[in-house]
Amino acid sequence: MADEIKRTRRIAIISGKGGVGKTVITANLAASLSSLGRRILVIDADLGLANLDILLGVEPKLTIHDALHGLCTMEEAIIPTAKGFDLLPAGSGLPEGALLTSTITEQLESTLSSLESRYDAILFDAGAGVGDVVLHFADLAHEILLVVTPEPTSLMDAYATIKILHQQYKRNDFLLIVNQANPAHFQQTGVALVDHLRNITSKFLGTDQPVRLELIGSIPRDPAIPHAIMHRQLLREINPQAPLACLINQLAGVLDVRVQ
Amino acid sequence: MREMNKQSPEPKNSLDLTMALRVLQNAGRQIPQLTGNDADIEVQSIIDALCDLSIHDGLTGLVNATFFHAVLAREIERNLRTGRACGLMVIDIDHFKSINDTYGHNTGDVVLQSVAARMKNSMRRMDTAARIGGEEFAIILPECDPADAIHAASRIHSMFNPLVIPIGQTILQLTASAGLVWTNSNMPINSIALVSMADQEMYRAKRSGRARLCYTQPESTVISQTERSALMALKLEGNAHGR
Repeated sequence: MADEIKRTRRIAIISGKGGVGKTVITANLAASLSSLGRRILVIDADLGLANLDILLGVEPKLTIHDALHGLCTMEEAIIPTAKGFDLLPAGSGLPEGALLTSTITEQLESTLSSLESRYDAILFDAGAGVGDVVLHFADLAHEILLVVTPEPTSLMDAYATIKILHQQYKRNDFLLIVNQANPAHFQQTGVALVDHLRNITSKFLGTDQPVRLELIGSIPRDPAIPHAIMHRQLLREINPQAPLACLINQLAGVLDVRVQ
Repeated sequence: MREMNKQSPEPKNSLDLTMALRVLQNAGRQIPQLTGNDADIEVQSIIDALCDLSIHDGLTGLVNATFFHAVLAREIERNLRTGRACGLMVIDIDHFKSINDTYGHNTGDVVLQSVAARMKNSMRRMDTAARIGGEEFAIILPECDPADAIHAASRIHSMFNPLVIPIGQTILQLTASAGLVWTNSNMPINSIALVSMADQEMYRAKRSGRARLCYTQPESTVISQTERSALMALKLEGNAHGR
């Protein structure tokens, strides 16, 4: 899956640990990629605890659950957002065990294939943890983007996620965004953290198929982010010229190279 | 063949009953009694006997290699669908050639039959035991996670070390080398490739001194204390790590 060349790139945004800003980053990156002229679909892949719709201020009538259970088509559940990209929302409250039956995974795969012609990139906003749903969406993706913060717990969970995907799913390539870094030197923090992870993965995860980690960029802690969440707005909507909004655009630019 | 009944006694593809009965007789099978009362039932019983013959090894009574691969392919498919792994154990009798050379082929056949009997007695009802080569046997262990498969294969292998077979005044003490692998739903594989992997493990057992079971433990995804310590060694100024 990882090495297939397809017109539509599937990018899974995962983290291991929850609360690292994955959904906020997904939404902001999707909007920036859309502003670059890309046709973007975001799938709320946090099937058990979806909240992308809340962040985007939309109230979906149909969700991916309805589509997967035959109550509507996947196309009917997709809604355009005012942010420039489309959203396939998910529901909340379903236990993980009830979600990934073999029928549903087959249906998901065929739906993704049918959507290929409509979008340049499909972003999966996965949930926290390393449950079957998260790992399945990561396995479906061409690119795996891991969001990590400098907290030791986040670092540990990111490493555990990489280890599982490497050993069980034979994934070797990971993109990283370091979020919530010290604003005084967030760039250096990102580089140091990813260098450290590279050292650990090369030491412990074997050399036959080495793990390759690529830092997409670092995002500093910024009060503008909780402010944007509270107001259900993206950073570019609050102030498109703000450094943080520009930074997100830069990260989207790096990602855009892979979408082309 | 099924059309052979009272209304059409001589269809084009009729079963040569005489030849079929001879095949069954030569294979030492029970010959269905032909009374002429119900041709359908009689022909069906011959077909059943031929089908049974076609999937079993005549010497040991285990399933043959053709049927074994069909079962293994089905279990691989099942693993891909359900995620439940399937174990595959390959067993090869150590120094079998020298038994044949020293005691003759009849003794060799007795050894093969004894091995088959041990396998039948030691496996679970859902397992499938097969003779897949001269002195090579295999057991399919469906719905076995690696830990279950290791447990089951170790128990089966313990029945062969040693395998004591009295042959007249002589008592043979044999051993067997075995290899164990299991399916992985993340890595689709065909039955031939899976057997080849099990063979590699079995050859490793031979090279390591025979009379043992070899397998490669699945990589653990659990974070070791060493990994944990290495991860936590990072110091980042002004961030959580540096505080």
